[in-house]
Amino acid sequence: MKEELFVSGRNIPNIDPYLNIWHWQIPLYLFLGGLAAGVLFFAGYFVVRGKEKKMQATVKWAPIIAPIALVLGLGALFWDLKHKLYFWQLYTTIRLESPMGWGAWTLMIITPISFVWVASYMKEIFPWWDWKFKFLDKFEAFVIKYRVYLAWVMMIYSIILGVYTGILLSAFNARPLWNTSILGPLFLVSGFSTGLAATIWISKDEKERKILSRIDLIFIFVELFLIVHLFMGFLAGSETAIEAARLFLGGQFTVSFWVFVVLLGLIFPATLETLELWGYHVPKWLPSALILFGGFMFRFIMVEAGQITRYLY
Amino acid sequence: MKNTMDNQPKYINPYLGGVLLGLLIIVTVFITGRGLGASGAIKSSVVTTANTISPESTKENAYMGQFVSDDHSPMYTWLVFESLGVFLGGLLSGIIFGRVKKFRTDHGPKITSRKRLIFALIGGALFGIGSQFGRGCTSGAALSGSATFALGGVIVMFSIFGTGYILAYFFRKLWI
Repeated sequence: MKEELFVSGRNIPNIDPYLNIWHWQIPLYLFLGGLAAGVLFFAGYFVVRGKEKKMQATVKWAPIIAPIALVLGLGALFWDLKHKLYFWQLYTTIRLESPMGWGAWTLMIITPISFVWVASYMKEIFPWWDWKFKFLDKFEAFVIKYRVYLAWVMMIYSIILGVYTGILLSAFNARPLWNTSILGPLFLVSGFSTGLAATIWISKDEKERKILSRIDLIFIFVELFLIVHLFMGFLAGSETAIEAARLFLGGQFTVSFWVFVVLLGLIFPATLETLELWGYHVPKWLPSALILFGGFMFRFIMVEAGQITRYLY
Repeated sequence: MKNTMDNQPKYINPYLGGVLLGLLIIVTVFITGRGLGASGAIKSSVVTTANTISPESTKENAYMGQFVSDDHSPMYTWLVFESLGVFLGGLLSGIIFGRVKKFRTDHGPKITSRKRLIFALIGGALFGIGSQFGRGCTSGAALSGSATFALGGVIVMFSIFGTGYILAYFFRKLWI
């Protein structure tokens, strides 16, 4: 036993010298939440702009992913809870300064919206669909009538959901890697990019794919810009922030971050999407699959690396 | 710029490709301090698979045991990442030169795709075994070896191409 560690209190398993209590469930949830936010935002966006007919896959088909992703993500969050039976207390304790509280309420709102959205298109997707009950048919007609308003609400909440996946981490001021205001926008942009990638994968319409690819390229560019500024911010910061950045600049996360997230998850798919826009034949699933993989790795690495960074040395 | 309409796959001029490959080795040695290799990544995959299925016997295996460590996965070697890059670079080149359309199997007119794939698998496996006897494959032992004027590298290269030249006669029907 190392007694000096024991006496100084620096030997508390899983907490000191570093916290390691968030496992695969959290990054998986952050990924699925961001993905759902991206899919729902663009479904709402094209409805609001009146391009519903042109963007069939974006508006109708891709949103089917959202409720599934949200339920799986919530399942992962629930799995992670130590005291599972007390989860409802998140909804009885209102704390405006708690990002987890905000997240819980956002999910409480956007999850049913995603179900309602998909349900309102069920008859268009499957012509044989029958709701069986009169009141459901009435409710469907009501939703379809006010769909544009629903789209607005959905867009706003998907932005909150996308930002929240980053703010959840950045609110931890004890973890220098997470404690940066760039994390919110970065996770939002990354989530939207994965949502677009999933929609591109689903879409069979050449024109629609081109429109989405163009938007996705902008998002990838913004994401790279934010990543560069994330590291610039760290390197211009305190010693602990520099220490956090070093994990990615020569430290243990260097290869995984730059190879899997930046090269394979952003730059390479962006190159492929550009080539596709120029008329070259690119396997259709490849850029999307890479972006989704990169987005997943990004969250995994950020959660893992963030737990190692600390103020105490 | 668009050559996707052309049905014939386009490849780079072999002489130009050879020169570029040589230049690539210089750049690789300059940047990483190592030569190129390809079989190492496959070896890492085999060791990782074996280690996942049966860690005990992999560690005890005299050959595979030396690549297993408690610190990191056997996949965490530069060769794995290099091979990933080779794959992606090849894909990019295929896209730009219009070779990527859908999966197809190149083979001679007298054999089926199935037969071609079976023989490719057998050939690949033999090549893998051979590369471990020769401490590297054509790119590792022959190319990088001869680039550093290693006698072993030159011998390996002549052995690979010489044996290939002789044995090609017996397997010509797979191609012609």
